[in-house]
Amino acid sequence: MSRSGKALAILILPIALGIFALYLLWGNPDPNILWQVRVPRLCLTVITGMSLAAIGSVYQLMLANPLAEPYILGISSGSAFGSILMAALGLIVLMPLGGFIGAILTMLLVWRLAQKNGMFDRSRLIIAGVIVGMFFSSGISLIMYLNREDTALIMSTLMGNLGRIFSYREWHIFLGLSVLNISILIWLYLKSRALDIMSASDHYAASVGIDVHRLRKQVFVLSSVLIGIVVSYAGIIGFVGLITPHIVRMMIPGTQKKIFPACLILGALFLTLADFMAKSMTVMELPVGVVTAAIGCPFFMWLLLRRQP
Amino acid sequence: MRRATSFIMLLLILMSLSCQQADKRTDEIRYVVLSPEIAEILAALGLEDRIVGLTDECTYPPSLLKIPKVGAFGAIKTENVIAIKPSLIFSSGLEQEGISKDLERLGYQVVSVYPKSVAEIYEGIKRVGAITGTDKEAEALVQSMQNEIDALRQSNAGKSIPKVYLEIYRDPIMSVADNSFVGELIEIAGGNNVFDTLERDYSRVKAEDVISAKPDIMICYSQDSLQNIRSRKGWQDIPAIRDSMIFFEDSINPDLIQRAGPRIVEGLRKLSHIYDIYRDSIR
Repeated sequence: MSRSGKALAILILPIALGIFALYLLWGNPDPNILWQVRVPRLCLTVITGMSLAAIGSVYQLMLANPLAEPYILGISSGSAFGSILMAALGLIVLMPLGGFIGAILTMLLVWRLAQKNGMFDRSRLIIAGVIVGMFFSSGISLIMYLNREDTALIMSTLMGNLGRIFSYREWHIFLGLSVLNISILIWLYLKSRALDIMSASDHYAASVGIDVHRLRKQVFVLSSVLIGIVVSYAGIIGFVGLITPHIVRMMIPGTQKKIFPACLILGALFLTLADFMAKSMTVMELPVGVVTAAIGCPFFMWLLLRRQP
Repeated sequence: MRRATSFIMLLLILMSLSCQQADKRTDEIRYVVLSPEIAEILAALGLEDRIVGLTDECTYPPSLLKIPKVGAFGAIKTENVIAIKPSLIFSSGLEQEGISKDLERLGYQVVSVYPKSVAEIYEGIKRVGAITGTDKEAEALVQSMQNEIDALRQSNAGKSIPKVYLEIYRDPIMSVADNSFVGELIEIAGGNNVFDTLERDYSRVKAEDVISAKPDIMICYSQDSLQNIRSRKGWQDIPAIRDSMIFFEDSINPDLIQRAGPRIVEGLRKLSHIYDIYRDSIR
């Protein structure tokens, strides 16, 4: 581990505790608000941040593309479309279900389009993802145009909204899905070495006994489930999944086994900080997606400049 | 070359003809009304028979329903407006500012009335009266509204002031500020709107701010159900929810307090009635 990496590891615990304390205790809320509103929101934020950064790191590795991010395969658009469609039909309570179904159907479609003569093709996958994503984006625009009264809701889905009001039942469903979510993250962590090997070449990976086709399909399916859950509850939050893995790789050069957990931590902390700023530092609550880009981009530029010899 | 010249000549003739068409006005009085609020004002002044075109939202009084429509509030079909040859067009603010300018450019007389407070409703009614030659009726309408509101204020004097939370949207939740039109009505009727200031008149609010504000009454226009509101995490301690002081569209029609027209008097009475229900419940 590099020196800065070690320093970071030592620093991260107090920083994390500091950010969480700030998030939960800012403005001295009464216990009801703390436990019933802020703690659930923090859970949603942490789960979302972790999932986005994790998928970003896996996709960038698996697709050998530094621009890969959780939304590149169009699944987020499909998920947002499903969720917005439910809202437009007046079934606001079923929005997460719509998002989930949207994600799964989009995934099946993209996966089918990515096959060429029964073989998987990396660039076909990305092209299929972008096209399918565009298709659903236009669907969202259409719903937005036809249902003017739902504009606020659609905007909050497209720009990220962690301020969801849970009912008790929805909260229990969310907790159940979180367990699933974390299990998938653990599974992805356990596949780190295989993914590293696979990123070199399929042939090499196959020669050391990895079932490349199967693993790729599993990663794709399970990451879509993650995206479905995240988009259903928090909408589309850009930037976290794209930039977090890059920042981690700049700070802690190493294998996926090291990068992946660091992505989880950084993704969670970054999104918590961004949501704190979105809801507490401004006079009016801002869409969190705007804040992630507004603070993330300059930070990344600074990192790039600093690295120059 | 000659062909091109004659083509351009023809084009110029056509263009001048089309300009004339737009400028040509009949002496007949024909109003196209793009805003439901002005439609209500015109109807209250007894001018319904002068209206020849409306938008989909102009639903009150019900007799307006049979008048042809020229589109929706935010999506006016310009061609439909032109087709009915209006002598005067009444428009509103917000999304209609653009279309008002377009119609003016086409040579139509456009009057924009967009009241944002009770005082501006009075002004608006008088202005519409002056333009349509019904000054007396307008004056009388304003006077009767003022009298009724004064009487309501007097009858509310000395009563306790309930805290009111009005939810206009769910996901993200949105409410109204004191200086919004609805906020003003909530307070005139004898209540205290819980959000004194917001960044916009109608703005997104935080769930925790609603919980901290402890409203006594909740008016829900966000299409959420009683059962869902009751099961929102952390909302059980809010007095309005704990004591079932939640009112929906069937208790008070949103148009009565969201449309800046003559029916606000009825809306204020309904609000005042809701506050009385609350006051009786705590007695």
